Amino acid sequence: MITMGCDIGSLFIKAAILKGDDLAASKIMMTTGNIASEIEDFLKATAAGAGIERDKIECLAGTGSGADLLKNAEFTEDIVTCLAAATAFYLPKVKLSIDIGGQSITSMLLNQDGEVVDFMRNDKCASGSGRFLEVMSAKLHVNIADIDQTVARSAKPVALSAQCGVFAESELISHVNEGEQTPDIIAGVCGSVANIVVAQARRFGMADHYTITGGVAQIDSVLRIIKEKLSGTYHQFPHNPQLAAAIGAAVLAGSE
Amino acid sequence: MLFAGIDIGSLTAEAVIIEDGKIIASEIISVLPNPVDSAKKVLGLVIQKSGVNPGQIKYTVSTGYGREKLQSRGMADENISEISCHGLGAFTLNPEVRTIVDIGGQDAKVIKMNGSGKLENFVMNDKCAAGTGHFLEVMSKALGVSLDELGLISQGSKKPVQMSNRCTIYIETEVIHYLQRGVPKADVAAGINIAMAERALALVRRVKPEKEIMITGGVAKNVAVRDELQRMLSLKFVLPSIDPQLIGAFGAAVFAESKGKEK
Repeated sequence: MITMGCDIGSLFIKAAILKGDDLAASKIMMTTGNIASEIEDFLKATAAGAGIERDKIECLAGTGSGADLLKNAEFTEDIVTCLAAATAFYLPKVKLSIDIGGQSITSMLLNQDGEVVDFMRNDKCASGSGRFLEVMSAKLHVNIADIDQTVARSAKPVALSAQCGVFAESELISHVNEGEQTPDIIAGVCGSVANIVVAQARRFGMADHYTITGGVAQIDSVLRIIKEKLSGTYHQFPHNPQLAAAIGAAVLAGSE
Repeated sequence: MLFAGIDIGSLTAEAVIIEDGKIIASEIISVLPNPVDSAKKVLGLVIQKSGVNPGQIKYTVSTGYGREKLQSRGMADENISEISCHGLGAFTLNPEVRTIVDIGGQDAKVIKMNGSGKLENFVMNDKCAAGTGHFLEVMSKALGVSLDELGLISQGSKKPVQMSNRCTIYIETEVIHYLQRGVPKADVAAGINIAMAERALALVRRVKPEKEIMITGGVAKNVAVRDELQRMLSLKFVLPSIDPQLIGAFGAAVFAESKGKEK
């Protein structure tokens, strides 16, 4: 069976095609103000990546904050269920799945059968989200894709004390004025994000086996600190972690 | 007999000199990097303005950032927390006041007092920019208007937009989207002021506010936010009879007067 999952997030749109159990193709693009009219072309392009026509997709499932814009989906599913499905599909040992998205951090506890027992989601506050990283790195003129190579040049990270993205931005400017180096400040920003994620995971309840997904999980400078601070065994998501919800939606589309 | 109060804030520093509970001179400056330098400057200016001899000031109380340092450097006889000074300052201006809502540039505080002006409870938000003056600063920049205009233009709004977020960063994105879609600035500004008032309301509700409620701090100058908050609480605020920025320093001076007269 060929299925597709599409996750319309706050910053990016992600699509994944599964042929049976294999990820046949995937695509990520930045969210524009005009998703409704662009989405079909995006899905077609994703299908082309798998070498198939769009109408060969047997079931399309949508998720994410913009799932309603996916008019041609067979069904839509909430993001927590999709993230859990992706985790259970690839990493059956994992009992805690943390997703760091553009505007939210979601933690899920899974049972033996991969069902969500409980979840916690912060989408009220930007601190620790992808948007937070984006605002901070833009202030320092560092491209978000270059964060890891910038942090590699840091000798002594500057700790940020503010949690709020707005206050942290002022704090960051004062560090710049005091002559701190960009790599050290960026390293401090990554530390802040990691601390917020760790605090949420601990408050929510740790599990022996965990994974981290979402766009921010691609940034090793953040991931490394989270792994150092969290007890338990880290399991790496086998594909680009930003695709987790889209893959999960495709998994669910296959089991419909 | 003369008494003085010094209040060092995050952005401005104030000093007042009082005689028999009345302000005879006051001064407000932008802070210098060091609180001791700020205190020296603002105190020097207020003494100069009043024309009094520094020796006539019997007792001085410091409050705000570095208040302990000012005392240890001999610039003040005593230091008292800004919450207590703010409370006493407001209560002295109007003994009917039981609740003070102080929304500054970097934080928001709500102070509750009993009938004799003693502090009963207080809550503060200095962790999240939403609900502080910083929120309005970010939004006025996004709208391309001044802080003063933000309060004024929203009064022409017939259909305020509704913000679906609380976080300053997310609302900033919402504001930009509204403007891109051609929503009139007045409606966006009104939505911003409502969102601001909602955050303030959440903080005020945490102390079970009692009448009279005095509103102070820079945000009190935004008429739209003030009116919206009054509407949400269904009551009228009392406004201070002196510059609201001076209340902390005034309260410190009132403390100084009560302590100095005991001696």
